[in-house]
Amino acid sequence: MHKFIYKRLILLVPVLLGVSFLVFAIMSFTPGDPAQLILGENAPATAVESLREEMGLNDPFVMRYARFVGNAVTGDMGRSYTTGREVATEIFDRFPNTLILAALGTIIAILIGVPVGILSATRQYSWIDSSSMIMALLGVSMPNFWLGLMLILVFSVTLGWLPSGGFVGWSSLILPALTLGTGSAAIVTRMTRSSMLEVIRQDYIRTARAKGVAENVVINKHALKNALIPVITVVGLQFGYLLGGAVLTETVYSWPGVGRMMVDAIRQKLCSWLPHSAL
Amino acid sequence: MNTVKKVFVTSAMAITLAACGGTEQTAEVKDSLVVAQGSDAKTLDPHTTNDSSSSRVAAQIYSQLVETDENMNIIPGLAESWTFVDDRTTDFKLREGVKFHNGEELKASDVKFTLERMIASPTVAHITNAIERVEVLDDYNVRIITTDPFGPLLYHLSHTASSILNEKAVTDGGSDYGQNPIGTGPYKFVNWAAGDRINLKAFGDFYDGKQSIENVTFRNIVEGTNRAIALETGEVDISYDIEPIDKDNIRNKKGLQLVEGEALSNGYFGMNVNKAPFNNQKVRQAVAYAINSQDIIDAVILGAGRASNSPIGPRVFGYNPDAKQYSQNIEKAKQLMVEAGITSPVNTTIWTNDNPVRVQIAQILQAQLREIGINMSIEVVEWGAFLDGTSRGDHDTFILSWTTVTGDADYGMYALFSSDTHGGAGNRSFYSNPRVDELLIQGRTSTDPQVRHAAYNELQALLQEEVPTVSLYNSFQNVGMKDNIANFKLSPAGHHKLKGVKYVEG
Repeated sequence: MHKFIYKRLILLVPVLLGVSFLVFAIMSFTPGDPAQLILGENAPATAVESLREEMGLNDPFVMRYARFVGNAVTGDMGRSYTTGREVATEIFDRFPNTLILAALGTIIAILIGVPVGILSATRQYSWIDSSSMIMALLGVSMPNFWLGLMLILVFSVTLGWLPSGGFVGWSSLILPALTLGTGSAAIVTRMTRSSMLEVIRQDYIRTARAKGVAENVVINKHALKNALIPVITVVGLQFGYLLGGAVLTETVYSWPGVGRMMVDAIRQKLCSWLPHSAL
Repeated sequence: MNTVKKVFVTSAMAITLAACGGTEQTAEVKDSLVVAQGSDAKTLDPHTTNDSSSSRVAAQIYSQLVETDENMNIIPGLAESWTFVDDRTTDFKLREGVKFHNGEELKASDVKFTLERMIASPTVAHITNAIERVEVLDDYNVRIITTDPFGPLLYHLSHTASSILNEKAVTDGGSDYGQNPIGTGPYKFVNWAAGDRINLKAFGDFYDGKQSIENVTFRNIVEGTNRAIALETGEVDISYDIEPIDKDNIRNKKGLQLVEGEALSNGYFGMNVNKAPFNNQKVRQAVAYAINSQDIIDAVILGAGRASNSPIGPRVFGYNPDAKQYSQNIEKAKQLMVEAGITSPVNTTIWTNDNPVRVQIAQILQAQLREIGINMSIEVVEWGAFLDGTSRGDHDTFILSWTTVTGDADYGMYALFSSDTHGGAGNRSFYSNPRVDELLIQGRTSTDPQVRHAAYNELQALLQEEVPTVSLYNSFQNVGMKDNIANFKLSPAGHHKLKGVKYVEG
């Protein structure tokens, strides 16, 4: 087991190097001058040039990348040129916000997806099955930003129950988490259904039923445990996806998370900065 | 199964608890003001950024030597009076007993420290680079000497970047000063949740009296629609920059008001005069006659601007109301094209960044110029690449806007039309005219307002004849707010000061 963990950890090194190299190269070779973007269109050319020098942008690409890797290895992410703050502080200040949103989104996905998936599987081809599959299809296809705006319209503007954005207390989490969780809930529903269908056709379930075990015990005790194995894998993957893919939701709800920060960094072409958050 | 049940029950409880909390925090308290703006401040060190979101917060924390009122008139700030000793030297007499938020008293040495630090900053040095040196005469008197006579000095000193800092606070703060700012303004900094909000508190020792609103919060709400929604739901009291589509909603909603006024921005269409056919003045005039900017104002910015007759707006010092106003005249435009020797259609490109407003403007211009035989293909370029390419002169024509943040014509026209500023420094039309350069220098170096006005009048008349750029519109700006908020004054520069803002009986 330990050997396996070490092997995976060692494999992580080339992956991280590759990802950071790609992001760094894309940010470096696409047009646009970070110094000009930071100083704005009104800045005199001399100011832009002196900032370029200060940021080390005039150095060759390889030298800049090597410097970046060197700093990253020693844990020094440097300071952001736009805010003057430590990059590490900026990322870690916001990461808990993204984490909590992704966690709650995942919980919502499980709370909706697993029961609906079970119902759907145990009543295959019934109206419950059809309607839940239609809902799942809608859930997967609905764009996050649209769903977010609709939820704001209903729960903030019309009913006035929940805040429309920002972080003003725990109630602020509900709408973004719901928005984020809906798409995943649909995936979890479909996965639970198909996995459950596979399990309940197996011999040991037939045996349990033949022995006269109550149906709810068969489903909840015997079938569900085995059916959940692939579901848990999907939930894990979804959690990872939600961590990185919350950009639209964070924007719609003005959520101070890492996703929106990455978008800002891309706009500003902050080469030294973006690979850190991508990692 | 029990474990699964536990997970479900715990999650359900967590969500229920989540639903119960928080509502009391949004309850309106009359001594608090929540302001929403479209992006978070970058830093509150006025010497390391020049963006409007940071300036809007900094405007509450800091004061300047001189300030501008809502009509862009210069009024006393930390300096209660000033004297022009000669055309390069100005003496400022500071108010006595002004306190910084850390308890230190404002001294002339702070002014010297601030201006010298500013000149050394790559971000904002261009605002004060006319200053040669600053001399401390005594604790409350300071002398500013410029390299050459510099007419717009007072306007430049009124810019938020020229906010006066406390030497001790900056030195103690080190590289974290931008997150712990100390000023002399009406509100002092409390804390900052990055990306979300900045909290300020009324400063008890403010030299102009303590504010009636105790707490001010700046919230970062990126989407315009969400800023309007937050105002409608009462989550914020003031929302900056309401989108055109939401304006009527705010205006007509009971309990809300929309304040609108002229800004210092000017949207324009620039032509690269180094490239044919725009190297021909008659073609440029034909373009000006072919454009109907009212279509753009009505269809794209939904009335948030007015047709412009100058590269600067009416609120800017030096504006010439009599400069030529072009209005659409296709026949005249066609005739000018013939006079320029162009009888067959010309293919060219128009550059814009991916800002949807500018893309729509490009589409309208494309249709309008087609009528006089100029076929433009639209090139939508990412902002960084746009600035890069237009600096090098890769473009034929482009769409951009310029904000004269100091409120003085020098800032509004020197960068755009001087022969010294070709490319990235502002003159992306690559236009040169010795008479224009002469007038720009005259406007910059004279300290006599009348002489400056005369120079700028002639300059604007000349530019409207030569049209290196066609001014499309002067922008309006707006702020939505609750109707029980009084004394809010729009700053044409957009850095609205909340000094004096208060609640009245609704």
